[in-house]
Amino acid sequence: MSIPIKPVFVDEKLREVQESGRLAYRSHALPTWCPGCGYFAIVEGLTHACNAMNLPRDQTAVVSGIGCSSRFPFFVDLYGFHTLHGRALPVATGIKTANDRLTVIAVGGDGDGFAIGGGHIAHAAKRNVDITYLLFDNGIYGLTKGQTSPTSAVGLRTSTSPFDNPERPLNPLLMLLSYGVSWLGQAYAGRPDHLRGMIADAIAHRGFSYLHILSPCVTFDKTSRTYVNLGLQVREIPEGHDPTDLMAAMRLAQDTDQPALGLFYHQKRPTLGDTFDEIAARARAKTAPATD
Amino acid sequence: MTTMSKTDIQIAICGSAGDGTIAAGDILRNAVAAAGYRVIGFDVYPPEIRGFGKCISRLRISTDQSYSLKRHSDVLLSLDDSQALPHAGEVRDMGAVIFESQPIAPCQEGEHMSARVLPGQIPYAFSMRELSQQATGGGRARNLVALGIIAGLLGLTPDPFRAIIARKFGKQGPEIVARSLAGFQAGFDGATRTFKLDDVFFSPPGQADTAQRVIMLSGNAAVARGCLDAELDTFFGYPITPATSIMERLAAELPKHGRRLLQTEDEIAAIAATIGAGYAGARAATATSGPGLALMSEMLGLATITETPCVVFVSQRGGPSTGMPTKTEQSDLNAALYGSPGDACRIVIAPTNVEGCYRCAGKAFEMAERYQTPVIVLLDLYLSNRYETVTLDESDHAFVLDANKPLPRLEPGETYRRYALTEDGVSPRAVPGDAGHMHVITGLEHNELGRPDDSETMHAAMSRKRHDKLQAALRHPEFAVTRRFGATGRVKVGLLAWGSTFGECLEAMFMAQAQNIPCAALKVVMLSPFPVREVASFMDDCDQVLVPEINHEGQFAQLVQGTLARPVTRLSRVPGSPMPVELILNEIRRLAQG
Repeated sequence: MSIPIKPVFVDEKLREVQESGRLAYRSHALPTWCPGCGYFAIVEGLTHACNAMNLPRDQTAVVSGIGCSSRFPFFVDLYGFHTLHGRALPVATGIKTANDRLTVIAVGGDGDGFAIGGGHIAHAAKRNVDITYLLFDNGIYGLTKGQTSPTSAVGLRTSTSPFDNPERPLNPLLMLLSYGVSWLGQAYAGRPDHLRGMIADAIAHRGFSYLHILSPCVTFDKTSRTYVNLGLQVREIPEGHDPTDLMAAMRLAQDTDQPALGLFYHQKRPTLGDTFDEIAARARAKTAPATD
Repeated sequence: MTTMSKTDIQIAICGSAGDGTIAAGDILRNAVAAAGYRVIGFDVYPPEIRGFGKCISRLRISTDQSYSLKRHSDVLLSLDDSQALPHAGEVRDMGAVIFESQPIAPCQEGEHMSARVLPGQIPYAFSMRELSQQATGGGRARNLVALGIIAGLLGLTPDPFRAIIARKFGKQGPEIVARSLAGFQAGFDGATRTFKLDDVFFSPPGQADTAQRVIMLSGNAAVARGCLDAELDTFFGYPITPATSIMERLAAELPKHGRRLLQTEDEIAAIAATIGAGYAGARAATATSGPGLALMSEMLGLATITETPCVVFVSQRGGPSTGMPTKTEQSDLNAALYGSPGDACRIVIAPTNVEGCYRCAGKAFEMAERYQTPVIVLLDLYLSNRYETVTLDESDHAFVLDANKPLPRLEPGETYRRYALTEDGVSPRAVPGDAGHMHVITGLEHNELGRPDDSETMHAAMSRKRHDKLQAALRHPEFAVTRRFGATGRVKVGLLAWGSTFGECLEAMFMAQAQNIPCAALKVVMLSPFPVREVASFMDDCDQVLVPEINHEGQFAQLVQGTLARPVTRLSRVPGSPMPVELILNEIRRLAQG
């Protein structure tokens, strides 16, 4: 996965971007992220993916919790719901339950998803609710100005761990696999072309798809997850990995020193919407012969 | 005695968990309701499924609908003396105490019901175990033998009992049905062969009005029915006593209409999904009790600030914390009114009887959608679990549910303003799927477009909008926010009450009127926004105002005093059971003399 280096000319690039049609998915609100933040690549990635998939803007909803990443819905011109800290998934589940035709994308950070909202992920995965969850993992709390998060590295010094973080970070990929996620992938904000393809694949999956997106926090973490460090660590999914092999995916997920980018696992199984339909059919069949 | 006299009989069946006490009460109330009597009933049971907890099923059966249980029962049937002994005293003079003549184990002196029957009460000793053994080959049909005894002794026609027993046990196969019917018959025959009570017997019920259908429902069943008639689309819930049966009923009914119910991982997820569904344009609800309401409070604030319709049914139980899960209380009023950070206004309504549960359930959806707000329907265990015969007018299409204002036509380049400041404070609401009206809603303070805005002017304008729009709910169509009963004009004592306790207040008021005390009662159904005008004008008419409620702090009394700055007399008790009517009556008399 090498980054092609070729000259880019502003006028050509502007024309290309305008003609692509993806600007239609951008709102006029200015992002609130710091210059250099990895999240710019993610919002670009989503507009690319939506455009490539030709998603109708009024049939798409982006749901977020609270945090730097959760400001995301304001920066795209789709239906959006900026909810409470940790609650993007249950709100998104309610939206999808109410209207199956909508494409529902939940977004949030590592604190939002794995600390305060950690109880919801297992159930979204288990139910296989047909939504896409983009998790922006920068290993730190940014919006509250740099505290330890559930995915912070051991030894990270922050304002709430001035004597260095003593706790082991969670392994989100391994958790999701054991919860029964039906699509699992990993991407890196520093590889935007790969990222946009992964976002499109995650949305296209029928069922609960989880895309783990590694990103630096350029303001509050100058030592651990920098562009330099992450760029040296990430690698491609090994050739020959079988994404239908759960055990192989679990082994791959355990290598946190060299995070692999790509599709870890996918599985076809009934979604929450399918089970609702099946229950309704059974309920109707049961009541149909009654005469009263 | 003539057949013209009116029936008003209260029966209590008492036993240990596992004796079939509650099941017997269930069959009895259905049988007498089917026979055309009006019924109000309430069961008390322990939080444990098995063990030695006490179960009592009380049932008041009358020609005209009554509003509460009586303090004194006419008949007590004991399935287990160790539980029923303390209740012998609740049987009135010349009432019947029915008990097991041959207990399974020897009992200590004075521990048998025969030793506790008071002078004036009439003891009936039946060998229920033996009758069950003879008729069915086992002792498990004792509760059905007991039912047969009640029916035989009081002169009830056995046919409705037989039909309901056959229906209730039908699923378990013909053998069980036959055995259960044999048990009932053994009790019935045994009782018809004994001497009858002088003044406890059933007069034939009146003829029902044919245009209306009288059915028996629990409060929770009425809520579920109201939800279905209001065409609820989605329900999200987490099991909690005493609200669970709302979810259980809807779980069976909603899918028949192609609608959806999801059991979530906790109450936070339940209300979150309810709000998500409401945002997406579905009619959505959840149900819980006090502890669940506490978990939902942050989310309720989100519904307030995003102006998202959602309905939360809250059945109160004894608190704080886990408190008394199977005991009734009215102590979540403050949590319902104020439980959320910030100025999180909402609509709170509280029905006072089972029919009100049905009406309030449907009306809650009307209000949630019309005023774009969370609505809490406040019930309690006594109301959720009690049974009443109710008259439902089947012809009418009860609820009006097309409240959404038309969306504005947008000029090219114009952006939809989700929170447009309008005269009545309600903005036309677009939902995902509406072409061209994309917008983002947020828990942050926002401007008309829904974009974050924490300026002083915008926060003031939006706070005003969220509060002012709810005032219209006080004039919501076909909804009485308060209702006055009793004497008109000036009275000595006015009862001001809310929720399930209003039934006891009404009974007490009628008794006081019979003693020539001028009094009236105001039931307050809408608790937020508070009906200031109606309550103030009622209080203008009263020399003294009495506020009976089942909580320690006098939460409603504080609301009234705080809102109107006028004194009231509190009657706050926390017995874990309904307020005794006599207690209210005594207070009325005391105040009337004062």
